Amino acid sequence: MSLRFGITLTALTLLCILASVWSISAGAVQISTAEIINTLFNLDGPKQEYIINRSRLPRTLLALVTGGALALSGAIIQALLRNPLASPKIIGINSGAALAVLLGTLFFPDIALRWLPVIAAIGAIAVAVFIFALAELRPISPARLALVGIAVGFTCDAGVDYILVTASTYEFSAPLVWLTGSLWARGWSHLNAVWPALIALSALCLLLSFRLDLIRLGAAQATGLGMNVRLERLILLGLATLLAALSVSVVGVLGFVGLMSPHIARKLVGGVHRGMLPVAMLTGMLLVVLADATGRVILPPIEVSAGILTAIFGAPFFIFILLTSRSEDET
Amino acid sequence: MTGTKTRPSRKSIVILLLLLALIAGGIFSAITGGRSDTGITQLWGVIFTPDSSLPQSVLRDIRLPRTFSAALLGVNLGLAGLALQAITRNPLASPAILGINQGAALGLTLSLIIPGLTGLSPDAMAVAGAMAAGVLTFAIAGGLRGKMDSMRLILGGVAVGAFAYAIVRFSFTLDDELARSVVRWTVGDIGYIRWPQTRWLAIWALAGLLCSFVLAQRFNLMALGQASAQGLGSDPRITLLLGTILAAALAGISVSVAGPIAFVGLVVPHIARIGFGADHRILVPATALTGAALMLLADGLSKWLSAPVETPIGVIAALIGAPWFLWLTLSTKESR
Amino acid sequence: MNWLLRALGATAIMAFATVTNAGEISHELGTTTVPDAPKRIVVLEFSFIDALASVGVSPVGIADDKKRDRIIPAYTDIIGTDWVSVGTRKTPSLEVIASLKPDLIIADKKRHSAAYETLSEIAPTIVLDSLAGDYHASVAQMGVIGQAIGKSAEMETRVAAHKATMADYIAKIGPKAANYSAQFGVTNAKGLWLHSPISYNGSLLKMFGFASNMKPKEGGVYEKTYVPTTLEQLSEVNPDILIFGEYVDPSHVDSWANEALYKGLAAVQYGQVFNVTAHNWSRLRGMLAAEMTAKDLLEIMSGLD
Repeated sequence: MSLRFGITLTALTLLCILASVWSISAGAVQISTAEIINTLFNLDGPKQEYIINRSRLPRTLLALVTGGALALSGAIIQALLRNPLASPKIIGINSGAALAVLLGTLFFPDIALRWLPVIAAIGAIAVAVFIFALAELRPISPARLALVGIAVGFTCDAGVDYILVTASTYEFSAPLVWLTGSLWARGWSHLNAVWPALIALSALCLLLSFRLDLIRLGAAQATGLGMNVRLERLILLGLATLLAALSVSVVGVLGFVGLMSPHIARKLVGGVHRGMLPVAMLTGMLLVVLADATGRVILPPIEVSAGILTAIFGAPFFIFILLTSRSEDET
Repeated sequence: MTGTKTRPSRKSIVILLLLLALIAGGIFSAITGGRSDTGITQLWGVIFTPDSSLPQSVLRDIRLPRTFSAALLGVNLGLAGLALQAITRNPLASPAILGINQGAALGLTLSLIIPGLTGLSPDAMAVAGAMAAGVLTFAIAGGLRGKMDSMRLILGGVAVGAFAYAIVRFSFTLDDELARSVVRWTVGDIGYIRWPQTRWLAIWALAGLLCSFVLAQRFNLMALGQASAQGLGSDPRITLLLGTILAAALAGISVSVAGPIAFVGLVVPHIARIGFGADHRILVPATALTGAALMLLADGLSKWLSAPVETPIGVIAALIGAPWFLWLTLSTKESR
Repeated sequence: MNWLLRALGATAIMAFATVTNAGEISHELGTTTVPDAPKRIVVLEFSFIDALASVGVSPVGIADDKKRDRIIPAYTDIIGTDWVSVGTRKTPSLEVIASLKPDLIIADKKRHSAAYETLSEIAPTIVLDSLAGDYHASVAQMGVIGQAIGKSAEMETRVAAHKATMADYIAKIGPKAANYSAQFGVTNAKGLWLHSPISYNGSLLKMFGFASNMKPKEGGVYEKTYVPTTLEQLSEVNPDILIFGEYVDPSHVDSWANEALYKGLAAVQYGQVFNVTAHNWSRLRGMLAAEMTAKDLLEIMSGLD
């Protein structure tokens, strides 16, 4: 197990580095390696300041931090709700962000179009808090919490759909790009707004990950081991929520990463969280960096949203893993 | 409160309310629409004094098939969801997780991008896409080797669906007019339905009801867990197989006619379960009834709410169903 | 020494030019300082091409959805075909825009507001409301673009000429149009969308004197510009003249051909259903596009008595 874990971790890290290098060197505009190096390390010679330093570099870094955060968030939520279909979506993150963005666009179009990330974060957190508040009204089983989350999520989604179909076709052109999950037009300002928080929260989650292994044994056993299960669960859920909400606020609804990365990780290194979480994070990073870079080079100058490509890459890979593993691996 | 006396009366009240909702929804759906000269008097006229006036022909040729189709879609999608939730024993299961909806969307999209590709009509391509996705999910779940696994079924279906829909959205990037066609269809499009499609839906709804009744006892045993079901002489693998085929057929037919109305299959079985308990022999008709009532009300509202503009039925179904579902999840006691 | 002096001189002249002639252009998202007579312009919506073509300026980059034939010959005759495609109007490639080293970017408010800061990092950017505006708004924008590209006078002349042309069409079409209600809609494989009176085409039809039957009941107003419409709803609108722009053939409307309700439509009974080029009517939204629309209408009306 530890050898397998070490090999997997090293391989994924290497892949992430390779993917990041590719992401910086690839795009709609062909740039020579010499120029890229000149620009990155501020050497003499021809440079491409905007494209490398202000577009590709921050986008790549943003893909890394948000991909890792979404995967980590998904892994924690799946463990806490003990449902393999759970993902940040289930605690209303995506729906809340989407509803907030559309309501904002509808009522304050001039403000909302420029402050999409802030509005998205507020909406995501508000809906997640609402779900937790409902869940805390009385003791509630993880299965029931999932149902409540789905119900709230669907209620928000219904509102989103209603606004989309009743408003003018083009009113929501910009929010829709954001809703499909895209790193288009993202730069240093977006990265700087989220990376310190995302990295701090991720570190905290990894530190707490051994608690997840206890919780996964079931509430009764964990209580026997001296844990205040309800409190622990709430703290971890809160952390997972923040991770996902912050990511969604800058890169939009990058579906699939939060749902699939934990499963891929579980198939690779097993279900023990201390090992599985870092692997899930690396998987998420790899998925998003690849998706964003591919979106830029696949049909230049057309940009294909990263949210679309995460599924196109992730799904076949996931199916492959599903087919090659034994079904007894699942718990 | 003593259980034996109150339980039947509570159930009969629920049944009465559902029947009322069904009738009211049906009338509501039939008398609303674009034309102001076609309303309740024409509905009365079509039944008792039929003639060939334009308002009556609108009601006969356009409104009634649509109304019946709405109800039948509710039955089909509700039963598909019920079967899936029973066999996977996962309350989050719905036809959408088999990848069928998204497969149908992919088939439709392909036929719109490359019209001459297969020579099939867009609707036929939607059916083909639904079937292809269903078979793929089924294969991933181990169905072809006779070793179905419910966890693999769910995860495989989600992956197949995500992949198919990602390709659909990819094609939106290339062609904005295509996006408009497909998006309109994905929120449920029943405005074009006439009698031929309605008859088709009715045949499948009847077949679906029959099969669900036959499988009801197996679904009940499944709820006890795979091992217990085995012990009681019911092979859970066969139940899984039959349930998947049933759900895929019902959902595939509905999707091909009306587009994916995703919400109904997930929520209707839950609503029925809360009103009628966990016995599938009662749940089958209850789900059918609830699905039909919800869709009829949704259809009436979709035409009436922002008239003269129509709101797609899928959106309305979610708009009524989602808060209702939320209230039910919060207000009922946990079963365990 | 000579070259140095010349270089210094050139720099001084350039600096001088920027300082004295720089235009302060106010637009939807604020005020932007644009260079005098920008040479390398990138446009991110179709109606801006119309504006540039009106005064004979060629953009270096166009968000043409990577479909070069979306820029119709009427425009390419003037602006040539040397532009670089910068991708879709929804998410144009910022890399490609930057690589063109533009000195002016013209963006759309609904589509590109969220990228305004990033675009401004690349070059001075002005943002106009092209997508949601009607015909009169689109003509009003021409003045702003004329100012931004340093050709105010030329643009004024062109706008005046355009207004004269349109007045001429109105004089020819108007008297007959007053007797008819007319409705434009676009149709693809899955539906029909009527363009309401507040849409670009709706406002054009109104200007020519056509009545619109799209009157929602009980004092409601159409807030939607494009209204998805079923056959039954169309029969309630029931205009005298129906003009369809088909994006595909056969379209959704064609599937109604055998229905009694469709055959009963006034426009169908009197043979007043016409097909026009959907792209020209619905997507272009500029002066040239309006003149083409007017020409189509004149043709339609001269066939009626």
